[in-house]
Amino acid sequence: MDLIHPHSVPDVVETLREASARRRRLLVAGGRAHIDKGNPCEVDAELWTTMLDELVAYEPAEMVAVVGAGMRVGDLARALGEHGQEWPVDAPPQATVGGVIAAGASSPRRLSVGAVRDTVLEVELVTGDGRLVRSGARTVKNVTGYDVHKLVVGSLGTLGVIVRVALKVRPLPALRRTVRAPGGPEAARGALQAVPLPAGVLALPDEVEIRLEGWPERVKVMQRNWIGRSEGALIRFAIEGLDAELEVFTTRPDTIYGATFMVIAPEHPVLESMARLRPAVEGRGVLEMAAELSAENHRAMLVPPGCAHGFLTLEPDSLVLYFVSAAHDPARERGVRWNDPTFAIAWPFEPRVVSARDRAHPDFAPNFHLAA
Amino acid sequence: MEASTRSEDRVARAREALEEVLGPERVLADPLALALYARDASMVEGGCALVALPSSVDEVVACVRVAAEHGLPIVPRGSGTGLAGGATPIGEALVVVTTKMDRILEIRPEDRLAWVEPGVRNLDLANALAPYGFTYAPDPSSQQTCSIGGNVSTNAGGPHCLAYGVTSNHVLAVDLVLPDGTLERLGSEAPEAAGYDLRGAVVGSEGTLGVVVAACVRLTPLPPALRTMLFDFETVEDCAATVSAIIASGVVPAAVEMMDRGIVVAAERFAHAGYPTDAAAILIVEVDGTQGAVEAQSRAVLEAARANRCRSVRVAADETERALIWKGRKSAFGAVAQIAPHYHLHDCVVPRTKLAPVLTGIYAIAERYGLVITNVFHAGDGNLHPLLSFDRRVPGTLERVLRASEEIVRLCVEAGGALSGEHGIGLEKREFMPLVFTAEDLTAQACVRAAFDPEGRMNPHKVLPAGARCGDFAMAFGQDAAEAAARLPEGAWI
Repeated sequence: MDLIHPHSVPDVVETLREASARRRRLLVAGGRAHIDKGNPCEVDAELWTTMLDELVAYEPAEMVAVVGAGMRVGDLARALGEHGQEWPVDAPPQATVGGVIAAGASSPRRLSVGAVRDTVLEVELVTGDGRLVRSGARTVKNVTGYDVHKLVVGSLGTLGVIVRVALKVRPLPALRRTVRAPGGPEAARGALQAVPLPAGVLALPDEVEIRLEGWPERVKVMQRNWIGRSEGALIRFAIEGLDAELEVFTTRPDTIYGATFMVIAPEHPVLESMARLRPAVEGRGVLEMAAELSAENHRAMLVPPGCAHGFLTLEPDSLVLYFVSAAHDPARERGVRWNDPTFAIAWPFEPRVVSARDRAHPDFAPNFHLAA
Repeated sequence: MEASTRSEDRVARAREALEEVLGPERVLADPLALALYARDASMVEGGCALVALPSSVDEVVACVRVAAEHGLPIVPRGSGTGLAGGATPIGEALVVVTTKMDRILEIRPEDRLAWVEPGVRNLDLANALAPYGFTYAPDPSSQQTCSIGGNVSTNAGGPHCLAYGVTSNHVLAVDLVLPDGTLERLGSEAPEAAGYDLRGAVVGSEGTLGVVVAACVRLTPLPPALRTMLFDFETVEDCAATVSAIIASGVVPAAVEMMDRGIVVAAERFAHAGYPTDAAAILIVEVDGTQGAVEAQSRAVLEAARANRCRSVRVAADETERALIWKGRKSAFGAVAQIAPHYHLHDCVVPRTKLAPVLTGIYAIAERYGLVITNVFHAGDGNLHPLLSFDRRVPGTLERVLRASEEIVRLCVEAGGALSGEHGIGLEKREFMPLVFTAEDLTAQACVRAAFDPEGRMNPHKVLPAGARCGDFAMAFGQDAAEAAARLPEGAWI
């Protein structure tokens, strides 16, 4: 099967004119996040929109972003996030803007942020026979003519190729919280009535998830209203070596027989004291985690301050990009050798190439490595 | 229908058929009634042959069938408050008025939806929902009079659409009688129906795709707290800059409304809202949400206004004062009658960062044509309502107004704007459509219309400019299908 990867809107127009004249059937593909939706069909070629990823116009004070339909949702989120704004769809980062619109894939926060269709202000579409059609306007409000762009939302690529769109964006909420509680659809119904203006209430078979967002005070009030209505127990866990306690609220204290690990929010105040505690517990166990990063899985890793990290490339000619959050200071740089006995890392295989400097790191010694 | 049939006969027979269904009292044909229904709230005057006032879905279906049988165009009409001529009939039309269908069919607070007939008035619906802790968010200034059917047809807006979105965001489904008399439900009670969003195409289609006979609307929870503030400024520029500063600060208030001195003076004389009549412009800002959200947003709004030299701030102390502040705003269009007997109201939308330069340009145009212009509008979403006041009995005045109007429209389009934000295109603006759309864009729109109404019988002459045709739908204009197909490249898929 052929792959067509147009670079520009005129490219798409040309492609579709030709395909139409030659009666070739095309499947429009973006980030492939929703490619299995709709009826499977036999096609002669795939048309990929991912090169149409231009940020055409974005004026934050306007809260309107005009983008190429092939732009990745993750890239758009970054561009908008720099100005404290978001396109509220919550699609996977590798999904494309055009794909989300074609699939009509709304956010679980739809209750408060609205459906995808409410955020699409203008669409430029190349029809099957290669005509470029624009509908809507780059303004937040508009009733000029028929809303052809509304028909495109959820049309799964059957009306043409979405090439460019104007989106209504919104300020990122100042605070977000997710509350999970036992129950099911019935509990969700209760939550909808008890919590003022939730962003979303998701009912799972035996759980309910309530998404809260907005201004700090507002979220806290919503959280209080919900938690205040739940019956349960506040359990305090002592922390060894520290004069502090972790408070945990649960609606199911009967399920707790012990705790193997605890997850703490990154802004929890106890973290600072625990970080200071680390040298004291050194030697009693080191937390270790690994993940595979690849161009295909679009993953990245955030290494928190105070943690060591290492990369092992799995293929020839791998390209690794990394950013550091502070200026580099050679005097304060410390390194751990890949085969340091303190950590005894179980690499999937022995590294073939290690730089001379990294090979020469001394064995781990707290007063050297943690002193910087 | 035979071509030789004389038109009076057709109308007479249609009238007879309609009277059989509706009874003679709900079919109007006397000259006074025909003159009353020959226009809406716009400047355009048309004419019609018959007026029908059905009170049920079945009766609407019967009206549409009678019109089809006797070859009469159909013009659906709600309360007639439209400002673009969307409900102004032309030629030998049958006007189907839906104001007798004014029942709220059901309110389901748990599902956050309500089913209503098209003639239900906007404010009546909001009032009926209030005891349940909900409202219907779109609130056009004409909300005491305008109907939900009309709101759906024009995709109506209102001050509170800034935070809550326009009518389309609040309509889940519509029941539509198509031009051939079939009844279709488009959309569903679910937040989003699967398949093509035909509901979305019908909302805002100005009665050209069918007659809306019921709507399923979304209920919006009434905010636990809100605060209404009134700011005044010494210059229009500072006032407009405050709007941009508020939006840029990350706050989306429930409403941001701007009024300039001319309209403030007129509204104050009428509403006695305590507006500062010596200010160049005032800004009404309403924020809502939980108490904490209201506090945080108020602080940001105040900061934005102070940074742009606001002269004073008035915060509504209670519901009575809030209602008074809004009364002045919502009755502004009535109050302008004190300036001159006629007005021409615009509805352009511009990017909100362009408000100040566009307003300056509009004042310059009015001055050049020697016209009185006032501005009262939804500043938060860039939706301008320049209002030209005049006396059309003075020879030459109407021509000057129309020329100034065209310049205002062109100015807004050049600033990156759209022709209409909430009133619609109707008859008034259809010839401006090529300013913002290419021939291909308009063809696509004509195709959407032809898919619903292949014979072009629903509200003809509206929205699309003369000459916009759907080439792919040979049926639409009586051409032979084979002939139309021959114009396409061989084997091309359409």
